[in-house]
Amino acid sequence: MTGAFVRAAALASALGPDLDAAVERLAGAPVAPARNTKTGGPWPYFAIPIAGEDWRERAEAIARSVAGDLRREAALAPGEWAALPCIVGSSSFSVGAWDDGGWQALEPSFEFSSSLAKAFGVRGAVTAVSTTCTSGLSALDIARGLVAAGEFHDVLVLGVEFRNRLTVAGFAGLQLLSATAARPCDRERDGLVLGEALAAVLVSAAPAPWRIAALATGMDAASVTGPGPDGTATAKTMRAAMAGARWESAEVDLIKLQSGGGPLADLAEGRAVREIFATAPRSVSLKGALGHTLGASGPAELALLLASLARGRVPATWGFAKPDDELGLEPSGGDAKGLRRVLFNLSGFGGSVMSLALEKAP
Amino acid sequence: MYLLAPTVLRVAPEDFPARVRVRFAAELRRAGRFAQLCLLGAQACLDAAGGDGPLGVLWASEFGAVHATRAALDEDLERGEPAMPFTFIAMQPHLAGALLAQRSHPVTRAACLYLPPHAWPGLPRLALGWLAECERVLVGCVEESGSGGVAHRSDWCLFQKNPVAEAVRCERSLNPENAATATGEDWIARVAAWRGSGHAPLLLRGGEDAWSFTRHG
Repeated sequence: MTGAFVRAAALASALGPDLDAAVERLAGAPVAPARNTKTGGPWPYFAIPIAGEDWRERAEAIARSVAGDLRREAALAPGEWAALPCIVGSSSFSVGAWDDGGWQALEPSFEFSSSLAKAFGVRGAVTAVSTTCTSGLSALDIARGLVAAGEFHDVLVLGVEFRNRLTVAGFAGLQLLSATAARPCDRERDGLVLGEALAAVLVSAAPAPWRIAALATGMDAASVTGPGPDGTATAKTMRAAMAGARWESAEVDLIKLQSGGGPLADLAEGRAVREIFATAPRSVSLKGALGHTLGASGPAELALLLASLARGRVPATWGFAKPDDELGLEPSGGDAKGLRRVLFNLSGFGGSVMSLALEKAP
Repeated sequence: MYLLAPTVLRVAPEDFPARVRVRFAAELRRAGRFAQLCLLGAQACLDAAGGDGPLGVLWASEFGAVHATRAALDEDLERGEPAMPFTFIAMQPHLAGALLAQRSHPVTRAACLYLPPHAWPGLPRLALGWLAECERVLVGCVEESGSGGVAHRSDWCLFQKNPVAEAVRCERSLNPENAATATGEDWIARVAAWRGSGHAPLLLRGGEDAWSFTRHG
């Protein structure tokens, strides 16, 4: 078994068409999501600022743009790049194509994933995985396993969630959306704001600044549409990640929270953190800036967080202003100096809970 | 690793609701057809395999929750009505793991893959990796009927680290050229049929990857 590292990452999100733009924008004043869009209807929505009327053509244009960014950063030889296997995680795949083109525009999820891999210029085996909002992190988990087992030196992971009305309608039907803004951990939080993103992460056996020290998974079967209120499954999964990484709780420098502004879901995560840590470490949520990008959220938030840390900053948590005493979490940005161990939480419908332990090279 | 209880389930669409009611009473009435189909096969496999311990659940489909997708797009979205929780397509493919956990199985991880028919060897390969963290991994290939006359399909088997009676030893083959070609539709059925009658090891391939199945003991 060998180690697995985050060799390179790229991102198209509401913060910008590329990762540099996103990090720069995240360091500035918060930007509100768009309103009254075709996709979001009356709900606010974080859309990628890349125009395009045809859903499929726009998706492929975004993919080619992100591929170019990742390829420059990864600096693989052309043959190595072309041979990459590709693991795609999404909760919706190409369902947004139906919005414009009806049934004939839809294609099976595997075929859509293959077309994304083609847009990236890679010809290795394609795998498509769906575990709701943790899909992208599940893809990274599979990649980590393949690299750690020595089957591949590098594996391309895509977290994909493109605009579609069905997902917004589903969350609206579940009464999980905020009509105004995402306010992670805030006393006045009242729901999620959805968004789209395409994130690409290259998982590699080659040493890089951030090592995947562990990735733990859990199942919270309390409800299929939300976490158990006591946060037990989340706490258990975080503990498993720390155990896998051989960390003591006091060694965790930062928690990237799942928190997206849902009143009860945030509370459950807060309880989990308080159960584990006598004093909660510094924390951050990125869903106030990216929106909840669902199946893309793992790779998207990972890319954005690591790029921010590489520039020496823990990003601010947009939407957080007023602490909630019952929640007990107060995300804070600032200087990232000395920060080495990050616990990265993600959870989703269907009871999926994941916690990723990331360790920076000394 | 060792394979237990290869379980093959084919159900005519018109018989499916009654089969679900007989096995699960009203328990799964809101789960959606794809999740019901997963559960019907997975539970049959677990019943046959017995045992306990932390369980991974890994299943693949070529087309996924076809019925739920059609229902959500045609009936809900086109009429302007909100998609309801139990037909919410983003959740449908992944629901089986949570439903098994709610039935008191100790599920620790679950994932649904979309795979073309020849890519089935990815399932035992991934299961082998999961066995580092789970004692058992339930693996399935599930497909809803897309047209009249074609049966719903939900085939499952259980992989575990340790041998037991009736288990089949399962290893990646280094000689895929000698293996018979199988697909996601028939590889579990072929293992089940071979286990009942075969003597020589069974070699099955999909794409460039192959697995060998050998009687244990």
